[in-house]
Amino acid sequence: MSTAERLRALLARDFDLAPAALQAEATLESLEIDSLRMIEILFCVEDEFKIAVPAEHAELKSRLKTFGDLAAYIDTLVAGKPRDPA
Amino acid sequence: MKPVAVTGIGVVAPLGNDPATFFAALLEARSGVRRLQSRYPQRLAARVGAPVDFDAARHFPAPKARMLDRVSQLALVAAAQAIEQSRGARAALDARRAGVFVGTGMGGSETTDDGYHTLYAEGSDRVKPFSVLMAMTNAPAAWIALDHGLQGPSLTFSTACSSSAVAIGEAARRIAAGEVDVMVAGGAEAPLTFGTLKAWEALRTLAAEDPVDPARSCKPFAKDRSGLVLGEGAAMLVLEDLDRARGRNAPILAQIAGYGLTTDTSHITRPSVEGQARAMRFALEDAGLGPDAIGYINAHGTGTPANDPVETAAIKDVFGPRAALTPVSSTKSMHGHLLGAAGALELVVAILAARARVLPPTAHLDAPDPECDLDYVPNRARRVDAVGAVMSSSFAFGGTNAVLVARVT
Repeated sequence: MSTAERLRALLARDFDLAPAALQAEATLESLEIDSLRMIEILFCVEDEFKIAVPAEHAELKSRLKTFGDLAAYIDTLVAGKPRDPA
Repeated sequence: MKPVAVTGIGVVAPLGNDPATFFAALLEARSGVRRLQSRYPQRLAARVGAPVDFDAARHFPAPKARMLDRVSQLALVAAAQAIEQSRGARAALDARRAGVFVGTGMGGSETTDDGYHTLYAEGSDRVKPFSVLMAMTNAPAAWIALDHGLQGPSLTFSTACSSSAVAIGEAARRIAAGEVDVMVAGGAEAPLTFGTLKAWEALRTLAAEDPVDPARSCKPFAKDRSGLVLGEGAAMLVLEDLDRARGRNAPILAQIAGYGLTTDTSHITRPSVEGQARAMRFALEDAGLGPDAIGYINAHGTGTPANDPVETAAIKDVFGPRAALTPVSSTKSMHGHLLGAAGALELVVAILAARARVLPPTAHLDAPDPECDLDYVPNRARRVDAVGAVMSSSFAFGGTNAVLVARVT
């Protein structure tokens, strides 16, 4: 399963989100994922993907705008790559 | 105090998750006390408690349920029932003139317990992300205000076992003073966690498990009483300006007529006859009623060795010759001690008794303590011709005594 597929399954199972709505370009705002909900999602993502998401609020907020952003960000953490400066 | 209308009642409690089911069980003298499922049950000296049979998934979508400690879940369901029954207390309401006062002693204790278990027992650092929001003591009041858009004063009272009696009394005062029109007021408690049970056990206040029948462990006013049994649940009332309630033809279930509040300053736990009596007198004076107007007292009646004779003496002090003629019962014998939610739940019991004209009994009272010699309505509910006004007493560790008087019109 790809990261996007695993993330989609996680969000559908634990966050009552419709899988069909979880497309790469779907904005977190349109999915009603606010900053508080995001904190819980990242907690679950850490468990699911066995990664640690750095606690840098402002940076996360600026780089994670869509479902696709989140999946790509997880990929970089899974790969253990240094975080993308862009 | 200018009387204040009760236009809605909600209950989620041992023995029933609505007022009617709960009250019917009390009239049958059924007990909600049982052996608890708990972490490390073999480490509890007394394994009994009075839990609520409650499935959060029936009331909340999973993402919301995960943001709510059990105490807030119970509070929200009880508040929704009360608001529903008030038939439109919110209609044409200026939301800025409506608020929420909740009493709770322990707050989100399950969240605290789980968090510590994660940290200390499991050795994990993965504390749940919403632990602060779930455990904070004002969470039940905050969620009720949020879900129902009540934008006036929202306060949480924590005076241990009198918390919700205080919440109701203070809410009624705000309405009587004309500061607000409608208040949701009551209490919630969910203390049946391993850590909380152990803390109460250490204080040597919990009842021993009855060797024959665990359901009979709490025995207020009995010679063989050995302590209190913890219970969980929530009770919420919609309180409303009486003229407003009449004006919209709301169901007026009762009126809050009097509220007495005093503090014992003699000891942190030991109750005082003088302090309890003074609270009862203040409540009667506030209601403009004499002792002869009270047709039923729902006692604090914890079943601890210390409380019951002191409360009996305080009733005698206030009621004089009327004391022997006034039925008094402790329904804690059946629903346990809901701590911060006790005052609200027991006021509801007293109101429902006055409305139905049936007094719920003190269960498990086979051998009365000679020092407890009032009419405790032992073991069987009693039908009466009229009740009139009722009194509900709540006395707390820390010394805050709160007494409410209600009448049914």
